[in-house]
Amino acid sequence: MQKYIFILLLFFSSFGIAQNNAFKAGENLTFTASYNMSGVLTELAQVNMVTSEVKTSKATLLRLKCTAATYNKWDSFFKIRDLYESYVSPTTIKPYLYKRDIFEGGYSKLVQYKYSHSNGTVESIITKKKKTGGTYDQKKNLKISSNTKDIVSTIYFLRTLDLKSFKSGTYKTLPVLFDNKPTDVILTYLGKETISTGIGSKMCYKLSISIKNSDVLKGNNDNILWLTADENKIPVYATFKVAVGNGELRIKSATGLKN
Amino acid sequence: MKKLFIILGLIASVLAIILSVLPLSNLAFFPAIVAFIFGLAAFYFSNKEKSSKKTIQLIFLLTIIALSISTYKSIFNANEVGNTEELQEREKESEENAIEELEGLDLDEIDIE
Repeated sequence: MQKYIFILLLFFSSFGIAQNNAFKAGENLTFTASYNMSGVLTELAQVNMVTSEVKTSKATLLRLKCTAATYNKWDSFFKIRDLYESYVSPTTIKPYLYKRDIFEGGYSKLVQYKYSHSNGTVESIITKKKKTGGTYDQKKNLKISSNTKDIVSTIYFLRTLDLKSFKSGTYKTLPVLFDNKPTDVILTYLGKETISTGIGSKMCYKLSISIKNSDVLKGNNDNILWLTADENKIPVYATFKVAVGNGELRIKSATGLKN
Repeated sequence: MKKLFIILGLIASVLAIILSVLPLSNLAFFPAIVAFIFGLAAFYFSNKEKSSKKTIQLIFLLTIIALSISTYKSIFNANEVGNTEELQEREKESEENAIEELEGLDLDEIDIE
């Protein structure tokens, strides 16, 4: 009997940790992406993060969709129309299907990951354009750990973390699959800070992001994400530094919030 | 000395004009300021030499045009996303395909609310 009670307790406690109180279907966040050119911030693109419900015959999943589109003044120079999607469990944010369909200045690529959590594998299909015309597929089976996510579900998963219990300096490693490579993203909690944003002045959790064994993100504590310090944990502001310069992402509007 | 400043001023003012008509119009302020400084220097030397100031006037004219274009753009040009119809179509198509794919996946382990 005691064993069963213990198992039940364990089940409910894990359920409690994984519970998603931060967002629901119908949430729409709009951001402006800017690039820093010789000290002048130039607005480049609009980024949208939208959640919606997707019903299959067996289950109801949450569709997390991120799109990026350059402003019209840039379209004739470098047109970007990117679509990132992840179909996840509404409570645990476990991904089941990931799609990345990018169009960047004439270059296009389609990446699809089909997760099989019971086998611990991901079926990856990358579709690229041939130079001679037409497309070709690259199929691969990849091994993943039980909590490996894609980039989109990781961003949303951050919001379900219990940041209240974090102390300054606490870090968390999140395995992320990107470009068929499993990488570890390290998240360090830096403390609370009040910043003024497009949706008003907000008290925020400040998180530093770095990638293990990779030099994509440059600098020390230059890649920072601010999440509002309320139940919604909306990502309101982010700064990043890469090899070609630095930029930032600012929130413009947020609708359909859960709390 | 005057000649040098006139050449530098002209280069900077032309650069400012080019940048101001590009989407990078915010950046045009830097060469415009530089052109203005060179123009003033050239003006000072030509006053000393009491020679013609026609080219210097051109530098100032170009600089003023560049400054007004970029100021106008930064105030009145709101950033708008271009045509996203094609992207929206891709989104729709992708969702339909995804539902098909998800039907084929093993979702037994999912926690259904």
